Amino acid sequence: MSEDLISIIDQKATIELTVDDEKVSVPEGTSIYDAVIGMGKTIPSMCYHYTFNPFGSCGVCLVEVEGKKAPVRSCTSPVVAGMIVRVDTKTMFDARKKAVEKHLQTHPLDCPVCDADGHCELQDMSFNFGITQIGEVKQKGLPEDRRSTVLDFNMNRCILCAQCINICKEVVMVDALQFFKKGGFTHVVAKGDSALECEFCGDCLAVCPVGAITNKFSKYLYKPWQLTKTVTACNYCADGCQMRVEVTDHTVVRVTSLLSWKDKWDDHAATADGHGGLCVKGRFGFAYINSSERLKKPLIRKNGALAEASWFEATAEVAKRLKAIKAAHGPDAIAGLITARCTNEDLYAFQKFMRRTVGTNQLDSSARYGHASYCAAMEHALGAAQPTVSFHDVTFANTVLVVGSDVTETNPILALRIKDGLSNYHAQVIVAHPVRTNLVKLAPFPYTIAVGSEGAFVQGLTKAVIEGGLVPQRVASEHPTATAVLQTAVASLSWEALESATGLSRETFAEAAKAFVSGERRVIVLGEQIVNRPDGYQNVLRVADLMLATGMIGQPGSGVIRPCEENNERGAVVVGAMADRLPGGLRYDDPAARARVAAAWGGSLPSGGATLAEIVDGIRSGRIKALYAIGENPLGTLPASAGVREALSRLELLVSQDAFLTDTGAMAHVVLPAALAAEKDGTFLDGHGRLQPVVRALDAKGEARPDWAIVTEIAQLMGASLDYTEAEEIRRELLQIVPAAFDAGPAALRDGLDGEVALRYAQPAVAADAPSSEYPFELSLYQVLSHSGKMSTRDKGLLEIDAKSRLQIAAKDAESLGVVSGDRVKVSSPLGSVEVRIDVNGDLPHGMCRFPEHFNDPAVKDVLPMWVDPVSKAPAFKAGRVRIEKVVP
Amino acid sequence: MPTTPAQPPVFTQKKLPLLRTEELMLNMGPQHPSTHGVLKVVLELEGERIMKATPVMGFLHRGVEKLAEDGTYHQFIPHTDRLDYVCAMYNNFAYVRAVEKLLDLKVPERSEYLRTIVAEVQRIIGHLFWLGTQALDIGAMTVFFYTFREREFLLDWFDQLCGARLTTSWYRIGGVERDVSQDLIGQLRYFMKEFPPKIDEYNVLLEKNRIWIARTKGIAIISAEDALSFGLSGPTLRGSGVEYDLRKAEPYGAYDQVEWSVPIGVNGDTYDRYWIRIEELKESSKIITQCLDKLPEGPIMADVPQIVAPTKDRVFTNLESMIMQFKFFSVGFPMPKGEIYCGTEAHKGELGFYIVSNGEGKPYRLKIRAPSFIHMGAFDHMSRGYMIADVVTIFGTYDIVMGECDR
Amino acid sequence: MTLKELFDKAVLREILDGLKTTFKHLFVKPVTFQYPHEKRAIPDAHRGALCLLRYDDGAERCVGCDLCEAACPSRCIKVVSEEDPETPLRRIATEFYIDITKCVFCGFCVEACPVNALAMTKMYEYSTANKRDLMFDKPKLYQIGDQMLVDAKKYLVAHNQEENDEAAMQYRYKFPYAPAKKS
Repeated sequence: MSEDLISIIDQKATIELTVDDEKVSVPEGTSIYDAVIGMGKTIPSMCYHYTFNPFGSCGVCLVEVEGKKAPVRSCTSPVVAGMIVRVDTKTMFDARKKAVEKHLQTHPLDCPVCDADGHCELQDMSFNFGITQIGEVKQKGLPEDRRSTVLDFNMNRCILCAQCINICKEVVMVDALQFFKKGGFTHVVAKGDSALECEFCGDCLAVCPVGAITNKFSKYLYKPWQLTKTVTACNYCADGCQMRVEVTDHTVVRVTSLLSWKDKWDDHAATADGHGGLCVKGRFGFAYINSSERLKKPLIRKNGALAEASWFEATAEVAKRLKAIKAAHGPDAIAGLITARCTNEDLYAFQKFMRRTVGTNQLDSSARYGHASYCAAMEHALGAAQPTVSFHDVTFANTVLVVGSDVTETNPILALRIKDGLSNYHAQVIVAHPVRTNLVKLAPFPYTIAVGSEGAFVQGLTKAVIEGGLVPQRVASEHPTATAVLQTAVASLSWEALESATGLSRETFAEAAKAFVSGERRVIVLGEQIVNRPDGYQNVLRVADLMLATGMIGQPGSGVIRPCEENNERGAVVVGAMADRLPGGLRYDDPAARARVAAAWGGSLPSGGATLAEIVDGIRSGRIKALYAIGENPLGTLPASAGVREALSRLELLVSQDAFLTDTGAMAHVVLPAALAAEKDGTFLDGHGRLQPVVRALDAKGEARPDWAIVTEIAQLMGASLDYTEAEEIRRELLQIVPAAFDAGPAALRDGLDGEVALRYAQPAVAADAPSSEYPFELSLYQVLSHSGKMSTRDKGLLEIDAKSRLQIAAKDAESLGVVSGDRVKVSSPLGSVEVRIDVNGDLPHGMCRFPEHFNDPAVKDVLPMWVDPVSKAPAFKAGRVRIEKVVP
Repeated sequence: MPTTPAQPPVFTQKKLPLLRTEELMLNMGPQHPSTHGVLKVVLELEGERIMKATPVMGFLHRGVEKLAEDGTYHQFIPHTDRLDYVCAMYNNFAYVRAVEKLLDLKVPERSEYLRTIVAEVQRIIGHLFWLGTQALDIGAMTVFFYTFREREFLLDWFDQLCGARLTTSWYRIGGVERDVSQDLIGQLRYFMKEFPPKIDEYNVLLEKNRIWIARTKGIAIISAEDALSFGLSGPTLRGSGVEYDLRKAEPYGAYDQVEWSVPIGVNGDTYDRYWIRIEELKESSKIITQCLDKLPEGPIMADVPQIVAPTKDRVFTNLESMIMQFKFFSVGFPMPKGEIYCGTEAHKGELGFYIVSNGEGKPYRLKIRAPSFIHMGAFDHMSRGYMIADVVTIFGTYDIVMGECDR
Repeated sequence: MTLKELFDKAVLREILDGLKTTFKHLFVKPVTFQYPHEKRAIPDAHRGALCLLRYDDGAERCVGCDLCEAACPSRCIKVVSEEDPETPLRRIATEFYIDITKCVFCGFCVEACPVNALAMTKMYEYSTANKRDLMFDKPKLYQIGDQMLVDAKKYLVAHNQEENDEAAMQYRYKFPYAPAKKS
């Protein structure tokens, strides 16, 4: 039990008891088990796990309590004052041994074929207790439950400890499993004895102490002792999970979490900030590393076709042509793009290459259409670009406001923190979302708002806080002008406009505001549907206003958390792999910062610069002749209206450096194979600011190399002095320039903002386009749980779990259109039309449809417009208005 | 019994005024038939006299001690076969004894007797091998054929016992792998009856042979004091008159249950050590015959789950034994934390295993005190002043095996 | 020195004694034999080349549990296992390699095998000019097993792995369906 937990929840009296002649005091209500474990002793147990409440099914954790005849199950017995407990006695050893023998009696002789063999608690217990005689045995002889796509349930091996059921119910809060009696035996089955259909986080698999739940993707392929295990960071979303990549030879066999039945004995430090589990992507999405589609050798376009070449040829070619273009057209004829899935070291090496070796500031990363917009706005308002809230703060927050985010789908581990707060620490969770998301179903304050009205919701909340007199006294005295200006600004907003925009009543806003200010520690989860919209920049400023009005600025444990889609978006901003950022996350136009970096690099920094949209424009206009894209696939990401294909075809040199041959790669002149995160060393900076070590778990496929190493080699061939031999050198260089690069600074309201506030509230925030009769549907691209970006669609396993490239529409709309799931419809917008199959989703509101952004077949993204924010230069291209017509076959 | 006292040679450099003389450096080995494998000795010669001899070792280094850290305690047994590959059984014995000492494990009585019998058979094989090769090195070829004739019989006996002639891996932690059959006991009894006349046969060829005496008497002399301070052991130490035998000093196996004596030399030269080894052949025969007579019935493996792998018939049908089997072979048994040194009297000298355990299934550190290696430390001391032709005798007098020396 | 000793020395007595012994051996039957025309009788317990065994009905015994791989002190075994595509639930070894050049013939893999799928044979003549032939793969191991089945079974009996053929019958079940245990 952590100290926070004791201090926050258990402010109860402590009582004293004696354990093995040793006095110990614990808070009232503690179980004997927790009290003994807290002393550093161990009681063997099989159904206990620290992540959920004790269940008491295994009967192994027996202790002797003076005055009681029979041994007591320590996990379910609370301590009583003056209790005398004996743990390490011969009688208890024998009693526990008997309990284990009981489990063995119904266990089959499956060790040779069982995947858990070697990582099995029952085996360990049996071995440690030295059991040699178990007496009468009973075999269940049950068939294996193979209905699920991901997990196999072998109930012969089950010891009915219920850890899987409990973790699913209490920690993950999906509640997909249950006990079910059939044929005289108790089984663990999916709810309703059907095929398991859940989030497939696999935490049940992790806590299963025997081999009753097995992973279908690596079934029978290994024994634990054959695998080399490396703890590294996941590279799907920015939740920053540490996971164990288990490798044999050159193949990833499986991924396991730090959470397991085993970690109840160990030091919980590694999993202290979360429960240590993973989501479906992290645990089951590892097959892309082994994919045969991976690029293994560099490719050079010869006579119109890409042909394999050696590294020497390829890097020399790139260096030669970049040098030629630089000589002929100047450095500003070259631009670079890098994905925020790269490590900090890759990103730093690349930006230094672009700025020093090439001499241009025309570079951008994929954080541009993710995290950058938030950073720009928050830096403008509060001076601190990065979110300051940690997972720990989310867990212990009194109130959590989730707006514009389907967080259980996009960032499931962050969602688990919210769920933890919800179930264990009585957090007031307010969710505003147009769709009935999973969190909406769990939250005490769910609000279904109109599509695209997230900004208006925040405004309404601010207005309700101010008009309801809920602004803390402290705020008015600390920021008198800002408060006054805000007060007049919200007064100009009319409730009617807000009500019509959001679909919520004035009273609802008042209720939400009251709930929001009810606690001291408040966390706002700001999803991409509010940040990455055409008015996203303004929306973030509005959130800053809400933070000011409720006194969240400078309040410890309060703040905003940004669930990013890509693992290292925050790192890309901090390392400076963007035109408007310097290493350390400093602004590129900050003269002091420029001088510092220039001095460290020993030269001057290029002026000007271009962001993603400007680079595309520059290429189209013919100004930019060469593009170096690392892991970026603008052709596959941006809609057709951005004109990327036309632009790329005009390039004199297109270098695509990626692990796979992407759409952009297919057009490239040189393709360089890059190593994936599991194949290199480095660091990620996750969404809540922890620096995650990335450790090489296996050799890179084929001849693929880490991005920083390729960039370094090209730089050397171009005659520049970029000479890194390992990733750590790069990180050291960055930290020498900006020692606090990876730390978020304190947030404080900036002066001179008051003038803008009034402007922001002049008109209520509404969706970009008003509904029209011609285009009645609001289409948005959304993220699904099982995928992340386009990378996960290369993963065999995740595609097996979810390969639905279908347009989701509301049940009501489907009825009026006369279509059912599986029918084809034509989606048209002023920009074009596309045919797509539909899926009816009852949780969607009327007038909304959505399509998973991970799939490009059919290319639904191409019917959407692109809109670039004038301040943050962030392109928004995931929403637009469309018309849907049934296709008559 | 050797009686004639001998003195180490006193060699004084005589300088002839007219001839220019200088020291000659000579590399002997590693490719030399009498260096018993791959030993190299750098000799500094004054004429044919050895002024200094520097053994260069490590040509056969395989990192056995490091390999031990990578496997379970059980898995190391076959690696010990390959230390002194001439006498695998004794290496097995020394190793399992060390592990059992750390585990504080009691081995069944029958097993103790069997271990003693097989260890003594191995001692006979070792001494026969030494005798044959030493005589061959010095120039007497016939003895080699005769000793190998008997050695072959015993190696075939090993083959029937455990399935291999040299790399036996027959000893197990907690007992032995396989029981001896009546047939095998009968074969051994037959051999023990036939063996003493054979020893006389070797002796006829060597004992009084003037060439043998000339090549061994007074060669490689070491005083008792020096022998002790160089850490010599086994026949090499006892040849100098020190009565030290671990089988008597710290009895193990069934050595304290039977009557036998420790032969002691007088002069500490190669001839005395030859005599001791011949006597030990006779003593070993005595031990084996007595052990065979006293051989008790009973189990051959200790009944300690976790440390001893379960029997196969139980593995097939019982879950608890199946689990033991998997744990035993995949992670090994948990060893108590601690460290132990256990020396065993192999035919070459004291073979010791030093094990450091951190409580896991694998040794944290394992150090082998190989008698060959220790004996090579005295090589320079024992060879100075002798002729270059005596180097071969001096190698042989230790009975070195490079597999054990370089490990 | 006594007179006798002096006499013995003069007439080379000890040399004559030695020659007498060697001369006698001219009339002793030779103990050597002429390999390869004559061969040693190999005992049942002999630890020769490894093989894989089948059940009497022809099904492979090996379930691919990888315990031999774990038990091997020289790390010469590699097992690749997966689920049998034809019989779901059955774990099989799709590939099985023994690098016989690395093998130390300790027999630990046989001791470890929970289904007695491995055994050692009396085969010892497999020298080859091509080192790659000494990487025994699954077909080769089964081929040896089929050829040397009698020896392999004798080996298992000799090393207490199976009591005898009949007694072994009762163990011969196929994973993961375990038989009802005798109480």
